[in-house]
Amino acid sequence: MVENETLAHGNKSIEEFEPTIVAYCCNWCSYAGADLAGTSRFEHPSNVRIVRIMCTGRMDPTLVLEALRMGADAVLIAGCHPGDCHYQKGNFMMEKRYDYLKKAVQSIGIEPERVRLEWVSASEGGKWAALIREMTEEIRRLGPSPFTLKEIPKKADATIDAFKSQRLRWVVGRSQIKVEIEEQKYRQTVNAIMNTEVERHMILRALKEQGPLSAEDLARITGLNPNTTVKHLIALRKDGKINEAGEKDNQYLYGAA
Amino acid sequence: MTDEPRVGVFVCSCGTNIGGVVNVPEVTEYARTIPHVAYAENNMYTCSEAGLTSIRQSIKKHNLNRVVVASCTPRTHEPLFRSACQEAKLNPYLFEMANIREHDSWVHPHEPQKATQKAKEIIRMAVARAVLLEPQTEPEVDVKEASLVIGAGVAGMTAALSMASQGFKVHLIEKEGEPGGITRKLHKLYPTLADATEVVDPMIKAVKSNRNIELSTSTTLKEAGGYVGNFKTVLTGPEGDRELTVGTIIVAPGSSNYTPPSGLYEYGVNDHVITQRELDHKLRKGEIGKPERVVMMQCVGARKGEIRPSDLEAFPKSDTAELLRRILKARKEEGWPYCSRICCMNAIKNAILIKEKSPKTDVVVLFGDLRVYKEYEDFYRRARDLEVRFIRHIEAVNPEVTQKDGKLQVLAYDALSGMEVTFPADWVVLSTPLIPSKDEIMLARMLKIPIAADGFLMEAHLKLRPVDTNVDGVFIAGTASGPKDVSESIISGEAAAARASILMGNRKVKTEAVTAVVNGDLCIGCGLCEEICPYGAPKVKEGTSEIREILCRGCGSCAAECPKQAITMRHYGDNQILAQVKALLDRGNLKEVAS
Repeated sequence: MVENETLAHGNKSIEEFEPTIVAYCCNWCSYAGADLAGTSRFEHPSNVRIVRIMCTGRMDPTLVLEALRMGADAVLIAGCHPGDCHYQKGNFMMEKRYDYLKKAVQSIGIEPERVRLEWVSASEGGKWAALIREMTEEIRRLGPSPFTLKEIPKKADATIDAFKSQRLRWVVGRSQIKVEIEEQKYRQTVNAIMNTEVERHMILRALKEQGPLSAEDLARITGLNPNTTVKHLIALRKDGKINEAGEKDNQYLYGAA
Repeated sequence: MTDEPRVGVFVCSCGTNIGGVVNVPEVTEYARTIPHVAYAENNMYTCSEAGLTSIRQSIKKHNLNRVVVASCTPRTHEPLFRSACQEAKLNPYLFEMANIREHDSWVHPHEPQKATQKAKEIIRMAVARAVLLEPQTEPEVDVKEASLVIGAGVAGMTAALSMASQGFKVHLIEKEGEPGGITRKLHKLYPTLADATEVVDPMIKAVKSNRNIELSTSTTLKEAGGYVGNFKTVLTGPEGDRELTVGTIIVAPGSSNYTPPSGLYEYGVNDHVITQRELDHKLRKGEIGKPERVVMMQCVGARKGEIRPSDLEAFPKSDTAELLRRILKARKEEGWPYCSRICCMNAIKNAILIKEKSPKTDVVVLFGDLRVYKEYEDFYRRARDLEVRFIRHIEAVNPEVTQKDGKLQVLAYDALSGMEVTFPADWVVLSTPLIPSKDEIMLARMLKIPIAADGFLMEAHLKLRPVDTNVDGVFIAGTASGPKDVSESIISGEAAAARASILMGNRKVKTEAVTAVVNGDLCIGCGLCEEICPYGAPKVKEGTSEIREILCRGCGSCAAECPKQAITMRHYGDNQILAQVKALLDRGNLKEVAS
């Protein structure tokens, strides 16, 4: 359903639609690459607005998700080529996060093409211009971000909450250092935790906004499977994040703690 | 800062650079309507003395507590405008730049309306950020007036002598038993054809007799810690380990020479196939004699292939040394992508040396491109006059070397005639590039100097700070940052010494203000920041992480990963970053204007 809406939305305005792309550029390589595009007079579409950061290592996934949430049609993260990081390995750290970020964006129900990680060096003005041309074209084709549509924000907000949660941040952070588990397995674990956290935060949000609610209400509101909902409620109750808040029609009601 | 933000916006026309595309008066008028903007004006050149004076006066006259200059890139002009703010007693970190030239007028010259709209938005973003900026101070530390120079080749010795002559104590260490580096082993130097020893020997003598220089041979760096002004190092040598504290470090480990894999052009198979450097040694010992023909081949292992992203992606990403080991291995087979700069002159030099000793020897130089710059053009002509034959082959097709009845034969495609040419040869000499050395890689890891994609040490800025590294107080001299000849190595040694001497002469240095801060109330002391930080800045003490500011370089990786979001970055807080995005997307009616 979401897809259909997106399509309809996209088709309607495809002619006049001018996407807004937020580009987080690292100071040392990509910002300088964009500067060089200017110095070299490499023309490109005017749809990108650059936010300067010191290093892509600084890019908290929430900064990307928040930008989408605020209405950016796409977010570009641009940093130094592998091996060229001013701070040795900030770009590698971003790359690790990017895997999870892309998964998260996809599960929210928006096209993963709307979040891109690219390496542009200070000497690649031409690459910068080409990248902006290509990306603007792609986003123009995709249409306005579905983040503004009805169904998306709920999951988007919960995803942002999840990326602010200690549990998800901890496992994502741990993936930056050597862990004893095989990388592929670790990745799967993180993805599983990410899903769980997003679902739990959907429940928490519903409780904060509309609580107290029963498990059945919550399953309906969040669109989660009733069994999953109950499992999450048990876990959230254990963590002390929710309380029982009376009964209604023979069902327990829950409220945010 | 409790005062209500009062932002001054200075919109620069930059002559016609911005003004020729962006409607600057309209943008200035618009700036006045942005919340918190107390004053806005348009300057022809904001960076001119008139523009800077206006900033200083306006700060006072309009009681401004934030300044935004909408002009060019902060990468070149931020320091200038910051100091103007400082002169008007405004903390330089309350200044923000809006880049409406490189990122706007210069890239949208044919879309004035869109460029004007973009300029407005960029300024709106900058103002939103400026409002949230906080004053910062750059911590000041004492600089110990002693330097450690690693590597006693010409670059290291030059640097040591230069600093010593200014009265600074220099500890010069060399891993070999003798100082002099590669140059000591060379025969003659281009373009003077002077003996290499004529250059090196006096230098070694001067180093050994200088009272301010303590030379330790067979000594290497074992450990390095500390920070600018106060590096704590451990050296290891014949008498065991010893600790040394210095204010600055100059890294001059030199480079290696590419050795072709066995079998490439019969190298390692036929002992008359040698590298240019091996030829140099043989000429020194007089082992070449008067052969009938010598064929030289340029760019062997250089300007070939490229550094593939897969080289860099396939292994543990945090380990620089492992990364380089892999690159070195891959490059051994495929060669290096860059021009090594010195090989053309080296080939010409050796060709001249052979010709001068043995005019009848036919010296053939096969090349795809010959790069002789500056006065070396004359050097090349001199070789031509001696009838050295320079033959350009089709670059895409490598020459072939074969053996026929024990006699070497080189086959190439002449680019001029398009014909196949064959040269029986007594010697085949391969001009191979200078490549990153293992010592360099180890030092990079110990001192936390980034390595560029070509494997050499990365300068802080390729053009503007060619001998600085990203580690304050650590400088590069010689070929560790890329191929250089002797005179260029000396220049870089002098330059590195000058840079280090500035720090030691001032005795104090200001360090990074953009550092991480821990909110102790949120921190749970998990120690992830400690493990992530490439600089060892965070330290968990009694259950709470503490950032040692002096070690922090401000990359923000810890802030991005902190499980409790307890770490924020000075000057680049989440709120300061997101305020820009919010200001951009909070367009209201503006979106319609845009289309």
